[in-house]
Amino acid sequence: MADTPRDLPEAATRRFADGSFSSGLSVADFAACLDMGLEPVGLVQGFCAMQWGAFTMSGMGPGLNPFSGTQGGYVQNYQCPHGMVSNEHRSWGQNYQQNWIEDAWRTGFNNAYSRMMQEAQALGAHGVIGVIDSENPLADTGVVEFHLRGTAVTLRDLQAPSETPWSTFLAGQRLAKIFEAGYVPVSIVTSVASVRVWAYCVTEYLMEGTGGLFSNYGGAAEIVQVVDAQNTVRDLVRSRVRSSLHGDALHGAHLEVSVREFAKGDLELQSRLSGNRVRRFKDFDPLPVARPTVRLS
Amino acid sequence: MTNEGNDLPQATEHRLEELEHGLFTSDLSVNEFLLIKEVGFHPVGFVMGSSIYHTGIQTRKWSQSQELTKLTEAMYNARELAMTRMEEEAAELGADGVVGVRLDVNYYEWGKDAAEFIAVGTAVKAEDGISRLNKLGKPFTSDLSGQDFWTLRQTGYMPQGLVMGTCVYHIAHRGLGQTLGTTGQNVELPNFTQALYEARELAMTRMQDEATRLEATGIVGVRLEEKSHQWGSHTIEFLALGTAVTKTSDDVTLAKPTTIISLDN
Amino acid sequence: MSGPPPPRTTLKDEVRRALESLAATPTTASGVTSDLSIDEELNLHSIGWEPVALVSGVSLHSIPFGYWNWGQGEIVAASSAFATAFTNATARLVREAGSAGGHGVVGVHIEQTVHSTHVEVTLVGTAVRPVDPGARLGRSVFASDLSGRDFTMLMVAGWEPLGLATGASFVFAPRRSMGTVLQQQSQNVELTNFTEAMYSAREAAMQRMQEAALEMQGTGVVDVKVMEGPMSFAKHAVGFIALGTVVRLAKESHQSIHPTTVVSLNDASVAFDAQSLG
Repeated sequence: MADTPRDLPEAATRRFADGSFSSGLSVADFAACLDMGLEPVGLVQGFCAMQWGAFTMSGMGPGLNPFSGTQGGYVQNYQCPHGMVSNEHRSWGQNYQQNWIEDAWRTGFNNAYSRMMQEAQALGAHGVIGVIDSENPLADTGVVEFHLRGTAVTLRDLQAPSETPWSTFLAGQRLAKIFEAGYVPVSIVTSVASVRVWAYCVTEYLMEGTGGLFSNYGGAAEIVQVVDAQNTVRDLVRSRVRSSLHGDALHGAHLEVSVREFAKGDLELQSRLSGNRVRRFKDFDPLPVARPTVRLS
Repeated sequence: MTNEGNDLPQATEHRLEELEHGLFTSDLSVNEFLLIKEVGFHPVGFVMGSSIYHTGIQTRKWSQSQELTKLTEAMYNARELAMTRMEEEAAELGADGVVGVRLDVNYYEWGKDAAEFIAVGTAVKAEDGISRLNKLGKPFTSDLSGQDFWTLRQTGYMPQGLVMGTCVYHIAHRGLGQTLGTTGQNVELPNFTQALYEARELAMTRMQDEATRLEATGIVGVRLEEKSHQWGSHTIEFLALGTAVTKTSDDVTLAKPTTIISLDN
Repeated sequence: MSGPPPPRTTLKDEVRRALESLAATPTTASGVTSDLSIDEELNLHSIGWEPVALVSGVSLHSIPFGYWNWGQGEIVAASSAFATAFTNATARLVREAGSAGGHGVVGVHIEQTVHSTHVEVTLVGTAVRPVDPGARLGRSVFASDLSGRDFTMLMVAGWEPLGLATGASFVFAPRRSMGTVLQQQSQNVELTNFTEAMYSAREAAMQRMQEAALEMQGTGVVDVKVMEGPMSFAKHAVGFIALGTVVRLAKESHQSIHPTTVVSLNDASVAFDAQSLG
C-alpha cells in the first residue's frame, strides 16, 4: 500500500469527539449487529479525488502508431491479412493493458480506503462493516472522486487490532451467516484492469458491418480482437485479486465491465472486481440438506 | 403424427415430434417442477398458441355508456384462438393438462389497431396413466403455479380449465354542463358507477358460464384485470380469469401446517 | 415480549472466537473466489459440493451490413450470429471452469445484446465441484443459470444439469404493411399472415433450443425463459430467444422431496431491545 496519508480533516476529529454515534445501518442490520456482540461506534468515511486526464492516451488520433506496451503488461498484436498499405487502411492493430490507469485507480482507491480506516482507528474500532464504495467522475474535468463509507464497530472487552481494522461490505444477517459458516472477514477487496483496443482493419470492418473492398472480411465472423480484449480484461483483474488474497477466499464477488467507444472498434475496456476477503477460522461441518417447505400464504 | 383438424403452423409439427420422443421442456421453475412430480405429474413440453387480431373497429356514441359488443367479441375470440392452439399442442403431445398458463398481449409499432394474444404454459401428464382430460375431452388448462397446483391436489380438487369472461365497455364522456354543475362537490358519479359495475358483472358472469359448461364445482384464483389497450381512456376491457375446479376425492391429504417465524430479513 | 429462546448467545461466542483468531497466522484456504451468496454456499455444502472460482466467457459475432433492412421471413444472419456467439462464450466459460478444477458452473448471469452490427454474449458464474476428491468423476463441465439453491434441490431429487440450451430466431414482420391490411378490413378478425409469421418464429426458437438439448443427450429442459421483442434499432424486426437448463436423471429414478407445508407468522416485525445499548 502507498504512503498512508495522515491528513484527516479537522471536522472529522470534532465529529468523533462528540460521543454519540451515527451509523449507516438499517434497523434490521443494527439489531443483527448487536446480536453478534458488535457495537457500532460511528460512521466513518474516506475521500480521494484523482486526476484522470493525465493518464489516458485518448488524445492520440486513431490509426497512428499506438503505444506499444513497454510497461510489461498484456499486449497483443493483430496484422492486416490483406497485404495492402494505405492511410485509410489500418494495417496493424493492438490490444494493450493500460497499467498507468490501473495504478492511478489503485492510488485513489487506497487513499480513500486508508482514510476511512484511520477514522475507524481514531474511534478505537475493531472493524468496519457495511462498506459502500462509489466512484464519481466529475464530468469534463478528468477527475474521479473515490468515496468509501461504512460503520465502525467494536467488540466489548476485546482489544482493537494494532494494525488496520478488518472490513467487509456485508452487514446484518448476511454477515452473521458468514461467521456461522466458519468464515471471518479480513478486508474488502476492489481492483480494476484496463485494456485499450486499437482496431485493425478486420475488426473495424466487422464492427461497422461493411465489407468495403474486402467483402470477405465484412462477412459474418467472430470479432476476435474485441473478444480477446474482453476475456483478457476479466482475466487480468481476477489474477490480480487472487494474488492479493494470500490463500484467503473471496466471497460475494461482483465482476462488471464498462466499455467506452471512441470509434468503431476503438474501445477502452475497464473491469472491476470487488468482494469480501474472508478466512476460515474453524473446520466446518456441513448442515444437513435443508427441509423443503411449501408456504401457505 | 399430424392432427388434421388443427391449424397450427408447420414449424410446430417438428418441435412437438421431438417432445413426443422423450425430451421434455418446461417453463416451470425447479421448485414447481419438483412439486408437480410430488403429485404424480410429469412435464411433457412447453406449449404455446398465439393470434394477431384486429381490434380497432367499433362505432360508439360519445355520450352513452354501453358495452362495445363487437370489440368484446374480438377480444374474446383472439384469446380463445390463442388458448385453443395451445390446447391443441398439448393434445398432440398426449398431455392431460397445461399448468402455469400465462396470457399476454403484445403491441407492435408496425401494427396499430391490432395486437398479438399469446397463451403459454407447460403441458403435463399423469404418471399413473389414468386420463385426466376434462369434461369436454380436452386437456385441462389452469393458470395455477406449481405450488398452487400441488396445494390444490392436497385438498382433493382437480383443475378443469382456465375460464375467462370479457367485456369491453365505453364510458360516456360527461357533458360540459354536467361537469360544471358538480364542480367543487363530493358526489358519486352515477354514470361511471353504473357503467363500471355493469361491465364487471358481465365479465364475471361470462366467466362463470364457462365454468358451468365444464361442469365445475367452483372457480379458484379469480382475478379481474382492466386494460385500455390502444383505445384511449374511455374504453376499457374488463377481463375476469380463474381456474375452474371439481372435487375428485374426499380425502384431504394436506397435513396440518407447521408455523414458523423466519429469521431472515 | 416473549419470543423463542434466542440461539444467538452462541453466535456472539462464535464472532468473538473468529475475531480473536484474526491475529493468529492465517490458515491456508485455497484462494477460492465466488459470487454465490452465503446461503447458496451452505446449500452446496449440504450436498457435498463447494465453490472453486469465479469464471467468465465472452463472445462477439458480427452481422453483415444490410441484413436489417426490411426483407422477408427469417433474418438468418442474426439467428446464426447469436447461436455462434452463445456457443463460443459458453465454451470459454466451461474451459475456464475446467482449468480451475470445477465440475460445473452455477448461477450463470447471462447478458446477451443484439446490436445492428453484432451480437454480444457475456456469461459470468461460479465454478463448483464435489468436496470429496473421490467423488470427482471425469465428465464434461456443465454450465447452468440455476441458482445454488435450485442446483441443490435438483441434485437431491436425483437429477443433474448438463448445460445451457438456447435457441434464437429473428424475423421480419410480414412485408405488406399492417396499415394497408387493416384499412381493407371492416371487421375485427384474425390477421392470419402476421399470426403465422410470429408463431413460427417463436416455435423455431424453441425448437433450436430443443435440438441443443438433444445434442447434450438430455431428457429435459427446465426453467425455460422466452425473451422476445422488436429490435431497438429496427422496429420491424422481432427477435425470440428461448433459454433453459438441460437435465437428465442421475439416479435410478426421481427422488421424492416430501415437502412440508408451513404458515409463516411473519407479519409482525421483531423490534430490537433498546436496553442493550450500553
